[in-house]
Amino acid sequence: MTSTTPPSGSLAPHGEGGEGHANHSLTGFVIFLCSESVIFLAFFSGFAVLKTSALNWLPAGVEGLEWRMPLINTIVLVSSSGTIWLAEVLKAQGRLWGFRALWLLTMALGAYFLYGQAVEWSGLAFGFTSGTFGGTFYLLTGFHGLHVATGVLLMALMLVKSFLSGNYDGGEEGVQATSLFWHFVDVIWIILFVLIYVWQRH
Amino acid sequence: MTSSTPRLRPLPLIGLALWVGLLVLVSVWMSQQSYRWLPVQASTAAPLVDGLFSFETGVGTFVFLAVISVMAWVMLMHRAEKYDESDAEPIEGNTRLEVIWTAIPFVLVMAIAIYAIRVNTTLGVLGPMEHIHVRDPLEQQGGYPGDRLPPESVEVIARQWSWEFRYPNSGVSSTELHLAVDQPVTFRLVSEDVLHGFYIPAFRLKQDVVPGRAIDFNLTPTREGRYRLRDSQFSGTWFAANQADVVVESGPDHLSWLKQAAGQPLQSGISDAVQEYAERGKKSNPGWATVPPAPPPQVNVPGSNTLPHDA
Amino acid sequence: MTSATFPASEPKPSWTRYFSFNTDAKVIGIQYIVLAFFYFLIGGLLAMIIRGELITPAADLVDRTVYNGIYTMHGTIMLFLFIFPVLNGLNNLLIPTMIGAPDMAFPRLNAVAFWLVPIFGTLLIASFFVPGGPAYSGWWSYPPVSIQNPLGHLVSGQGLWLTAVALSGVSSIMGAVNFVTTIIRMRAPGMGWFRMPVFCWTALAAQTLQLIGLPALTGGAVMLLFDLVAGTSFYRPEGGGDPVLYQHFFWFYSHPAVYVIILPVFGIFSELFPVYARKPLFGYVYVALASFIIVGLGLVVWVHHMFPSGVAQWMRNLFMVTTMLISVPTGVKVFAWLGTLWRGKLRLTTPMLFCLGGLFNFVFAGITGIMLATVPVDIHVSNTYFVVGHFHYVIYGAAVMGVFAAIYHWFPKFIGRMPYEGLGKLHFLLTFVGANLNFLPMHPLGLMGMPRRVSSYDPEFAFWNVLASLGAFLLGVSIIPFLLNMVSSWVLGPRATHNPWNAIGLEWLLPSPPAEDNFGEHVPTVISRPYGYGLGQPLVENQEAIERELNLQEARA
Repeated sequence: MTSTTPPSGSLAPHGEGGEGHANHSLTGFVIFLCSESVIFLAFFSGFAVLKTSALNWLPAGVEGLEWRMPLINTIVLVSSSGTIWLAEVLKAQGRLWGFRALWLLTMALGAYFLYGQAVEWSGLAFGFTSGTFGGTFYLLTGFHGLHVATGVLLMALMLVKSFLSGNYDGGEEGVQATSLFWHFVDVIWIILFVLIYVWQRH
Repeated sequence: MTSSTPRLRPLPLIGLALWVGLLVLVSVWMSQQSYRWLPVQASTAAPLVDGLFSFETGVGTFVFLAVISVMAWVMLMHRAEKYDESDAEPIEGNTRLEVIWTAIPFVLVMAIAIYAIRVNTTLGVLGPMEHIHVRDPLEQQGGYPGDRLPPESVEVIARQWSWEFRYPNSGVSSTELHLAVDQPVTFRLVSEDVLHGFYIPAFRLKQDVVPGRAIDFNLTPTREGRYRLRDSQFSGTWFAANQADVVVESGPDHLSWLKQAAGQPLQSGISDAVQEYAERGKKSNPGWATVPPAPPPQVNVPGSNTLPHDA
Repeated sequence: MTSATFPASEPKPSWTRYFSFNTDAKVIGIQYIVLAFFYFLIGGLLAMIIRGELITPAADLVDRTVYNGIYTMHGTIMLFLFIFPVLNGLNNLLIPTMIGAPDMAFPRLNAVAFWLVPIFGTLLIASFFVPGGPAYSGWWSYPPVSIQNPLGHLVSGQGLWLTAVALSGVSSIMGAVNFVTTIIRMRAPGMGWFRMPVFCWTALAAQTLQLIGLPALTGGAVMLLFDLVAGTSFYRPEGGGDPVLYQHFFWFYSHPAVYVIILPVFGIFSELFPVYARKPLFGYVYVALASFIIVGLGLVVWVHHMFPSGVAQWMRNLFMVTTMLISVPTGVKVFAWLGTLWRGKLRLTTPMLFCLGGLFNFVFAGITGIMLATVPVDIHVSNTYFVVGHFHYVIYGAAVMGVFAAIYHWFPKFIGRMPYEGLGKLHFLLTFVGANLNFLPMHPLGLMGMPRRVSSYDPEFAFWNVLASLGAFLLGVSIIPFLLNMVSSWVLGPRATHNPWNAIGLEWLLPSPPAEDNFGEHVPTVISRPYGYGLGQPLVENQEAIERELNLQEARA
């Protein structure tokens, strides 16, 4: 008969080890992303409600939004989803340097997106307090930009981790989670682009 | 519940039937009593709302008493003996019973829902269906589209913390609402600052007043008397004091009131908040910060909000 | 708290661990519960002031601004600092032990989530002392009142309130991710979904609701904060904003929030009735699944809070029907509990009394809930004391009584001492009478047309208000025997065996209190459904050996 006595106290302490049980991290992260998407859903629906019910949507002196530069930004961000996917493929094949190169490229594309966003913001004729138009514009793009910046930081962390020897027994899930997060940020941007830049008529 | 027992003997069944009969009687009595818990009925909407409430009280009383009867029975009859450590007969479920007690509440609530939707529809035909539209600057300058021109229209302006009633057809304004009995009236509810609630319990009607919107709201008073209009959506410091009186009077009385009022010069209307705010300023420790009240509206008739009221 | 006086047979962990960044779910659970009751006392004190003011018609006890601040803080503290933390405490104690996990999936995240509670709690309490006083716009914080900011300072009571609520949201999301992952991934071998205790089902359902609903409130609150401090106009009518939009965000979360509170309490009822009726839970599968039907429906009822706010007629009818439908799965649970009690062998212990009292109040609240769901009646009574009465029947009458039941029931397991029955029954009696005396009179008041949140009222409402205030003071007294019981039995109570109630469940196969990693490496394999009372089947493999070993240990101690 197996000894089923609950052992008392002296065992190796559970829960002191890093991110908890490694194989649960991805589950937890996916759950978190589902929840996070509801905030964006709330902002999107708020945007739609405010826009459709507004008497004067555009603030005085504002004609609309310039869409060419954001379109370039969109292409950059969408292609970065491809590069991060390739990076993961290479890592699965064990080609660590190829992974690092593509990973770095993804980071660069993300950083370029942020730069493009900053340039766009600095050239705009309206501010955060310019009615609901200005408010929702900066809220949506700013909140999304915050996610892009977080994604770039997470990638940097994973890149550093890739240089720790033997780390990829445990760091695997971090890469998967970061990549998932990046695709999520990408999808959110596409919806956002359609809502803000494509749907301009009022 | 008894259907879970395998064989029914006549005596318990008769007892159960008697008990259910008693519960039905009590429920019917409660549903009649329920009218007495509500204020007097002073609008066409009130009897409809009260009828629905009475029905719900009856059904609710029966369900509540039935559940409580089972609990009481179990607590009295199915207690473990002292020192009895044994388990009861293990019944893990009964699919037929579970289907029945899913179906019964479903049917019950759907019956209530259908009744409520019918009342809702009738209320909509009678009038108190609000028509919301964004407060249009053009319309504010006084251009109602012809088809919405009501028999009598009253503009209700809610402020922190006073109510002002304007009768555009007669050029009268007041801080006491006067209505003619049995005559439909349309309100145009606007707020100058925050959310307020236009609530007259005797009419059983309530509508939030939303800043930035103008809400048309119809009702027909049916009983002469003096009633309370209460702010029902929290509006800040003097929310509780933001009440006005509603006087429902006969048609001729109403016309003479309007005529008399039109001749009176503008004066400060009722605003309890303004008075209390002034007294508060004299205190050494006046409490926490507050938005100052809007100045009392300038009206022809201030009226009163301290006379005894019917509801 | 002087666990140093324990006649310890093995080195007992120091009581100071309750004040440290500990990652053991059982320590965190107790931290949550004790801290929650600290805030419960503050929130209760505020309730005493509210009922003191309302015992007379005039606004004479405190200034109106103070009254508004106090009722706002009462609601906020009771919800965000008492009921959510106390339930998270129970989740922490019960989920890992019930499913046989050594700890939560993310123990450090768990500790961070807990320590956020005292941080935002302090922030919220601190708002009493900022210039201008605390937030005063109610726990709904509807704009534009909530963005009026009379002093115009950057740091205002309302700003602190919003920050605290946002932090509470962060903490709850961390908790929810943790609980859901733990339940999905860490169940004992053999514990399929339909061998999981109903408390875990309801916790899973409730935490799913948190994950879906809470972000909407957070989004709405962020926009409100920007309106308050940055001058945006999302909800500001002057700038084209829409104050009603906030109400949608708020109720999209805050109605499901009531299910987040009540679902675990359904779980508690479902756990305790079988134990004290000595019968299996009637219709276990149906009861478990009903939780998720409630989740689904609970997400599409929020507009019923806004019937008088100005919504279209079709919306009113639609949301009325969804709201009424929710009573079906809820009714299923109530009938299942009655079926469990029927022909049982009832033991009217303190936890059982709290469950029965809670069920009584819950059924009453369900009836008034149906009344509130029907639009015409709701138009009359919404924003009146009828709603306040209904809500308190649900939250205090049912949920808090369920929490008390859970505390009395699982106290021996996690503290290792037995609570005193006499004090417990006195506590029950005072709570049950006090709650009904306090909250029942609110219904006639609402029907007569007394609005909620008023600091003064017309004299015709005086009679029922006096009764309600007396009930409130009785409720205030009722907490004394509870605190006495908890403190004295924690220090002096008789030692608890591993299974004092003769209950079936994995947590009762652990010593009282369990070791830090619960079953550790030796998680038993579950071989049957929970609640097998009277069936004579063991719950796990080698159950006899486990129990023999536990008995031996207890005999040695």
